[in-house]
Amino acid sequence: MTGLPVADLLVLSGALLAVGIFGLLTRRNFILILIAVEVAMNATILNFVYFAAFAPTAAGLSGQAIAVVLIGFAATEVAVGLAIVLALNRIKGTINVAQATELRE
Amino acid sequence: MSLEELAFLVLAVVAVGTGLAALLVRELVHTILWVSVFFVDLSAIYFLLEAPFLGVLQLGVYAGAVTVLLLFGIMVTRKRIFSRDAATGLGPVPLALAAVTFIFLVASVGEFPSAPTTLQVYDPSALSALLFGTDGPWLLLLGIIMMSGVAGAIYLVREGRE
Amino acid sequence: MDASSFIGPFVPELLLLGAALLIFLLDVLGIRRNETLSTVAVAGTTLALLSVLGDLGFAPLSVFATLPANVIDAAPSTTGLYAFTSLGLIFQGIFLLSALLVSLASASRPSGEKGAPIFYGLLLLATVGMLLVAVATDLIFLLLAIEVTSIATYLLVAYHRREARSLEAAMKFFIIGALSTVLSFYGASLLFGAYGTTNLVAIGHATGAVGYPVLVLLGYGFLVAGLAFKVTLVPFHAWAVDVYDGAPSDVSAFLAGVTKKIGLFAYFLVFLGPVLYLRTVGGSSPFAGGPIDLGGTLTITLAVLAVVTMTVGNLLALLQKEMKRMLAYSSISQAGYMLIGVTIGTAPAITGATMQIFAHVLMKGGAFLVVAGVGALGVGPLIDDWKGLGTRRPLLGAAFALMLLSLAGVPLTVGFVSKFVLFSAAVQAQGYYIWLAVAGLLNSALSVFYYARVLKVMFFDTAPAPSTPPVTDALPAGGLGYGRAIAIGFIAVTIVAVGVYPQPILGAIQSAAQHFVVVGA
Repeated sequence: MTGLPVADLLVLSGALLAVGIFGLLTRRNFILILIAVEVAMNATILNFVYFAAFAPTAAGLSGQAIAVVLIGFAATEVAVGLAIVLALNRIKGTINVAQATELRE
Repeated sequence: MSLEELAFLVLAVVAVGTGLAALLVRELVHTILWVSVFFVDLSAIYFLLEAPFLGVLQLGVYAGAVTVLLLFGIMVTRKRIFSRDAATGLGPVPLALAAVTFIFLVASVGEFPSAPTTLQVYDPSALSALLFGTDGPWLLLLGIIMMSGVAGAIYLVREGRE
Repeated sequence: MDASSFIGPFVPELLLLGAALLIFLLDVLGIRRNETLSTVAVAGTTLALLSVLGDLGFAPLSVFATLPANVIDAAPSTTGLYAFTSLGLIFQGIFLLSALLVSLASASRPSGEKGAPIFYGLLLLATVGMLLVAVATDLIFLLLAIEVTSIATYLLVAYHRREARSLEAAMKFFIIGALSTVLSFYGASLLFGAYGTTNLVAIGHATGAVGYPVLVLLGYGFLVAGLAFKVTLVPFHAWAVDVYDGAPSDVSAFLAGVTKKIGLFAYFLVFLGPVLYLRTVGGSSPFAGGPIDLGGTLTITLAVLAVVTMTVGNLLALLQKEMKRMLAYSSISQAGYMLIGVTIGTAPAITGATMQIFAHVLMKGGAFLVVAGVGALGVGPLIDDWKGLGTRRPLLGAAFALMLLSLAGVPLTVGFVSKFVLFSAAVQAQGYYIWLAVAGLLNSALSVFYYARVLKVMFFDTAPAPSTPPVTDALPAGGLGYGRAIAIGFIAVTIVAVGVYPQPILGAIQSAAQHFVVVGA
């Protein structure tokens, strides 16, 4: 196995995080916001996986363990977010965040 | 450039491209298509990084479960599936924030050697020993998170009069 | 990891989990009476509180102790996921006290609500997460424990599932919470990359000696930002007011009172080690001579956040017309005071910050409980709606007045003691830390204005002739209900009692902080 340069992976995860943050701040549809969160979350998981692979010692394996836990956590987060969306959709008929105005002054 | 590096380069470009496409296309259903490619692509990167267990998990949980969940969410919340409700306000501030994040991260790249590094290869059984051994509390915490998530989500979407 | 070694130290958490499961079981069995469920929750939190107090070594309660004495404040280990410090136990006590008071007051919620089991179940699960935060010594364990609380509180805010206000607040809370989660975990992943471990003690020890300064600085930067959302520091505060406003008031009491404090304890755990270490090691750290002075950068960042947070919170509180929003902004400014403790990082400063957190749980939690009770009496959300309330309901008015006076830091209240300890620690620390004390004092003076305005409205403005007939007192204890009345009364008495005679609690916190700084550095 010849391997990969760690710098390239860091650039990829940085780009994915930037895409996620950008989507989270600009999208109006709640489902798209959820997807943006997942893109950013995947950047984080990718970080843990490749830092585990590049770790100097075998203790780096816990990076993979963290990645396993984070994948499960992210799925839970999506489920909870969708539950809130569905409840809101039922009473308001929209999931557009910009139309959520009950709390504005 | 070795074969691995070439493969990684292609996968990385596809990852960023599909991630952006998922957030920018106007049809919500196309979003799901792009995002499922994104998830599969990352799974391929995990295989490339010698983490097959995570690759499989990524396929099962993200490309499988999460994608279906999101598709289901779109179908329930939109009367017409092909909706143009995705909104495309490209604010300068979020764009700048994302750019700054990226530039800062790239700044730290210089600290690492740009030559290929040999990968640690782990045995999946070592991973399971770790997950159910010293790092077990993380899984227990995940269990508690899922428990409250499930209980609350069921309550929120359950039909019934107050 | 054999079972007994795992169950022994986690008795309080397991008690709460058991109570939560019992409540879900009762739900399945069709037992949904609010009073019954409240009793289960109160019983669970009380037992857990007794166990924690026993572990802390309060003499008459030592029979409840479940931790072996040699575990508490043991020498820090660079492996392992959790450790028990006496400061962590004190925080557990504070969290449990607040969960206990909220469950008790919730006995007065309208009975017959379908979601009552979910309300108490999620309240208890959120508390489990907070207790685990207090024992974390691993970055991932810490962040996951915070997520236990976060997920439960998103759903608690959405409790009124047929009201758009409640659901919108939950949606905002969820989006901001998700952003904060991603940023924190991303920061953690960078630190993991730099150090190859997620143990906080190991990270603290290695902070000066790793060859990736930019990566480490970015990791800490992401953590500062991600956790700042949880603590509602300016400029990461904007969500808090909408969420506290839109959530059911009892939940706001829980949110404003305690859940943001777990973020603060996380700041203690994550930043105190490196900040203290880098300051003591100073010149010999590779950072000091290099391009980036990490310890100095962190200290200055935290100091600026603290001052900006307290000032902006106070200024915006001045402008508010609604009671809940005013309290929410004042809660943001209080977070600024607490951050002073992390910035300075000496034992007296941590004592002050912990005392401030204890005081804040009582004052702000109590104030939101009063707001919930007054709302149930049919009084509107505006501050002006409270006209004459103090004369109509002297006891309730007096209790609320006490909480506001304590928030403003008037002597003989717990709020004065905590601010005194905190600001004198800043003065003792010398250097430019004195300016933190000055900023805190100026802000306290500023905050007196809006608290005094509420007091004036309540006691000296006469109410206009009520346009609607007063709500009939459906509940005992003057329409408040016994549970809420007892909780509010207890808080009011404690505010004065600890304010007059702070020594027992202050002494315990002082010795705990002393141990914590030694352990942490």
